[in-house]
Amino acid sequence: MATKYGAYAGKVMYVDLTTKTYKEYPVNDNDRKLFIGGKVLAARIIHDFVKGPMDPFSPENPIVITTCPLNGTPCPSSARFNVSTISPLTNLLTSSNCGGSFGAQLKKAGLDALIIVGKSEDFIYLDVSEDGIEFKDAEFLRGLTTGAAQELLPKKAGKFVIGPAGENLVKYACVVSDERAAGRGGVGAVFGSKNLKGVIADGKSMAPRYDQDKLTKLVRKWTKDITAHPLTGSQLPKLGTAGLLSTMQQKNLLATKNFKEGQYEGFRDICGEELAEKYLIKNKGCRSCPIQCGRVVEVNGKQVKGPEVEIMGLMGANILNNDLQKIIQWNYELDELGMDTISASGTIAFAMELNEKGIWDSGLEFGKIDNISQVIDDIAYRCGEVADQLANGSRWLSEKYGGKDFCMNAKGMELSAYQPRAAVGQGLGYAVSNRGGCHLNGGYLVVLEGLGLSIDQYTPFGKAALTVMFQDVMESVSAGGNCLFTTYAFFPPFLLNKPNWWLTRLVNKVFPYLGPVIGVANKHSKALKVNISSMLPQPLGITHATGIKMTMGSMMALGARGYNLERLINLRLGLDPKTDTLPKRLSKVLQDPDNKKSKVPIEKMVKQYYKARGWNKDGTIKKRTLKYFNILDLDDISKRPLEEQGERNIIPPKPKKDKKPKAAKKDAPDKAKSANADAKPTNAAPKKPLTEEEKQKRIEEALARKKAKEQANAEKKE
Amino acid sequence: MEENNLVTVEFFGLYRLAYKKACVKVEAKNIEELFQKLYEMDDVHTPKELRNSIVLLNGKNIMELRKFKTKLKPNDNVVIMSPASGG
Ligand code: SF4
Repeated sequence: MATKYGAYAGKVMYVDLTTKTYKEYPVNDNDRKLFIGGKVLAARIIHDFVKGPMDPFSPENPIVITTCPLNGTPCPSSARFNVSTISPLTNLLTSSNCGGSFGAQLKKAGLDALIIVGKSEDFIYLDVSEDGIEFKDAEFLRGLTTGAAQELLPKKAGKFVIGPAGENLVKYACVVSDERAAGRGGVGAVFGSKNLKGVIADGKSMAPRYDQDKLTKLVRKWTKDITAHPLTGSQLPKLGTAGLLSTMQQKNLLATKNFKEGQYEGFRDICGEELAEKYLIKNKGCRSCPIQCGRVVEVNGKQVKGPEVEIMGLMGANILNNDLQKIIQWNYELDELGMDTISASGTIAFAMELNEKGIWDSGLEFGKIDNISQVIDDIAYRCGEVADQLANGSRWLSEKYGGKDFCMNAKGMELSAYQPRAAVGQGLGYAVSNRGGCHLNGGYLVVLEGLGLSIDQYTPFGKAALTVMFQDVMESVSAGGNCLFTTYAFFPPFLLNKPNWWLTRLVNKVFPYLGPVIGVANKHSKALKVNISSMLPQPLGITHATGIKMTMGSMMALGARGYNLERLINLRLGLDPKTDTLPKRLSKVLQDPDNKKSKVPIEKMVKQYYKARGWNKDGTIKKRTLKYFNILDLDDISKRPLEEQGERNIIPPKPKKDKKPKAAKKDAPDKAKSANADAKPTNAAPKKPLTEEEKQKRIEEALARKKAKEQANAEKKE
Repeated sequence: MEENNLVTVEFFGLYRLAYKKACVKVEAKNIEELFQKLYEMDDVHTPKELRNSIVLLNGKNIMELRKFKTKLKPNDNVVIMSPASGG
């Protein structure tokens, strides 16, 4: 099915693993225009499949992998693709985005999205190319870690694989592409339930962009703005997300001892500065990203991806551990075994508190770290009774053993490392986020409440409307394919560089009072027909890449469309709006006994949020909201006939004047090179492929490991 | 005899990378003087530049106290952080 828009491959494929067949799914240009891509387009597709509650491990549960229009373009930080499915952790819709090379490769193979349903009888992986989709035997990959499995797959292809945790249906298993993970919500377990080790994609054809000249010009300015911004140009490249930890400590935001407190006295040993000084080898990041926030560190003599702030907080302060070397090690192990670092850490902390209170003895104790590696490994293989239960997540444990008041999850998903009692807007975000206790899907208001700006951390005033706005902006930016860090351009540099200036302090003071005005803008976003490229360049990027005219207003409407549609799907799946809440520790117990505001007034805030969203008091969505965002009475895409969508109308690039090639600047920053990494072929030496002998050795090692685990499991059962 | 006003200064964020140290002891009567002394010691950031940092005295932001005129006592803990975090 062709498309008239640029940057889209123009085809979505539906794969049935049970029958090992595939066919085109008739997504059309109207869908592209309204839902753009990524998690929003995925929600549009999943809407066809969800008629009521669904067992996440049933063959009917679709995995929808969507690319975004900016994937594969030279736009900065635009490699993020998405995977959505019904989560085994929450039984609701989950969407997880990932910065590995798979997204751009899937598009090069001719697909905008891949829908996977059914269950394969044998253990397989999918091989997608311009010639079609092959169902290939994956027995040789069984039991392999995410790194080893990717090494054994064809070198050139984009890869997306699960590790042992996904194969063993750990409810928070992730899927990994390169070293980047689609981490949250247990997507990896859904792959495992379908007997699917992974998907690889390889192709050469990249869809032309609508207006290459304008796009190139925008990319130049955009990249310059990113590298000049204090957060994306300096803080993130130098310290990574890990740089947040000391700020969290100073602002009482560092979840400590299963969120009992907001500060940890051992934080100096586990902060980002320590990581940068003692462990950082170099920066690394997703394709086409000038920020390169990833850290490369060493584990057992091997250079690997370093930890993000979430695991540093959750496997540090939250379990009373101040050994950073261990956190680096566990982070690597979790990635290799294919598990979400946040949920795994949160579950472990909860088990520690259950143990401390004498409720369930799992052998896990606050401050005791010598058994954690073993526990992580056991969880991935569900080895032994304790690990088998930990593999189900913290909510499952609280249902079995009790302790719901201090089980740090929302809708079954473990919270990230930000203590919400000192950032009540972030608390609201955790409670209402569509995918459960996620800091990003929740609107990430903690950036306003202490990490970037310093608006009143404890007031609920205005926070509902701000949450809606930030959720919508992030939703739409994800749909376009950009990393969420590109939204930092939203904050003018002076607000961040000059925190003590009277104007900055004034902005911090009045920001919550903008809530009502922002609330009006949220509800009538389509009227905002402007673009300010220094604040939100993403809509212009989409316009130039695709030809779909976007403004700041249509971008916000896109986000709201996605957010409401996801809510609609969740309601169909049986979401009880009463679960838009937080555990009592966060909403009823003061974090600081001397500060009466240091808890999240969640009931009141949720009511304000429903109103700000245009929802009914019972948490369902008003018809007029659905209508305004064009999602009332959506048809079933699968029932449409396949039809041609029209001719492409791409503006051809102007012929280039012959220029003498400039001598490369000796000290040109790496960032500039990486910004265009996607657009140009590189001369980097290819990685040496594994020899047959090496491959065989890997397989034997994996099999031996699997056997040993099975034996250990049997012994533990005895 | 004049009281010895030795305070502990801790650096975080980009300032820690710039100063190449986590902590230093400085004798100063107030924040303004502390900035000047730090500049004389290390020549990394001028007092004017340091006015754009986040400064906490025993956990409290000096902007909620007497700003740069905030007085220091012996054994006070001063945290100086680079302004922007984000992540
Ligand atoms: S900022 Fe970090 S996470 Fe985002 S695209 Fe760049 S490297 Fe990836």
